[in-house]
Amino acid sequence: MPERSDEPILDRLIHEPGRLAILTVLSSVSDADFVFLQRTTGLTKGNLSSHLTKLEDAGLVEISKRFINRRPNTNVALTPVGRQRTAHHWDQLERLKGLSQTSDE
Amino acid sequence: MERKKLESAAANYSYLRGLFSIPLGSLCIVAALGNWGLGPLRHAWIFIAAALVLGAACLPINRYYNEHYGRVTPSTRQQSRAFVATIIAVAVMVGGSFLLRSRASWSLDLPVNPIAASFGLLMLAYYAIVVGLRTHHVVIWGGLLVAGLLPVWSGADPSNIGLVLAGVAAMTNGILDHRLLVRTFEPSKDLGVENSDAGT
Repeated sequence: MPERSDEPILDRLIHEPGRLAILTVLSSVSDADFVFLQRTTGLTKGNLSSHLTKLEDAGLVEISKRFINRRPNTNVALTPVGRQRTAHHWDQLERLKGLSQTSDE
Repeated sequence: MERKKLESAAANYSYLRGLFSIPLGSLCIVAALGNWGLGPLRHAWIFIAAALVLGAACLPINRYYNEHYGRVTPSTRQQSRAFVATIIAVAVMVGGSFLLRSRASWSLDLPVNPIAASFGLLMLAYYAIVVGLRTHHVVIWGGLLVAGLLPVWSGADPSNIGLVLAGVAAMTNGILDHRLLVRTFEPSKDLGVENSDAGT
């Protein structure tokens, strides 16, 4: 059966809670480093690293590595596509929430 | 997942690094002591040296935040709001002080403490615009505003007492902002200074 175009469709890559948290944090700043993302999302180093790799491969985030005071620093920013898809995903979630509330009434 | 909580935590981080307020508050107090001519602070160069030392104290504070909480660049929108809030703050501080009590002919010359009142008002406005008011902001800066507006400041120029009050308020507010930041950013299990970065 074909899907109706007005039905909310969730982006599986973004919907994973860890990745959604990363993208949501990045959507409210210009860029952030690895430590900041770890702090805000509460993810472990390994998990965060793995999620960032997937998001970078999908073109949703841009990762740059640099040295600050001779220490390595990984900086992450949303790409325009990542920003758009994150906003769209949250819109879809809001729609789903709205639909479930309507069906409850 | 709480979207708003994540977004506001990220957006407000730069403005809740409250330990920076300790040198800033100390500078206000040192300025007041210098104006009173207390001890060695009566020499202008001592004040300049103290200002440099307090400025230098910001470097380890900055390093502490970067290593333990990370680096972030606020969004352009957030930076614009902070810029506008700073412009408003300076205008309120200067204009308010002159209007409430000064030697200017257009001054209302009220028996208030212009420094305390205008600093309290500007900080309330700043936090309301940039971060969103929390209880401690309202209590501390609202308290400073009310204290400054009480009609008990007749007599000698109360600006120096206002500076001391502003300094103490800044330091107290900074400590509470820092406490809020620590609570907001719970440490993740494997986060340590030695783990301050990770390749992806």
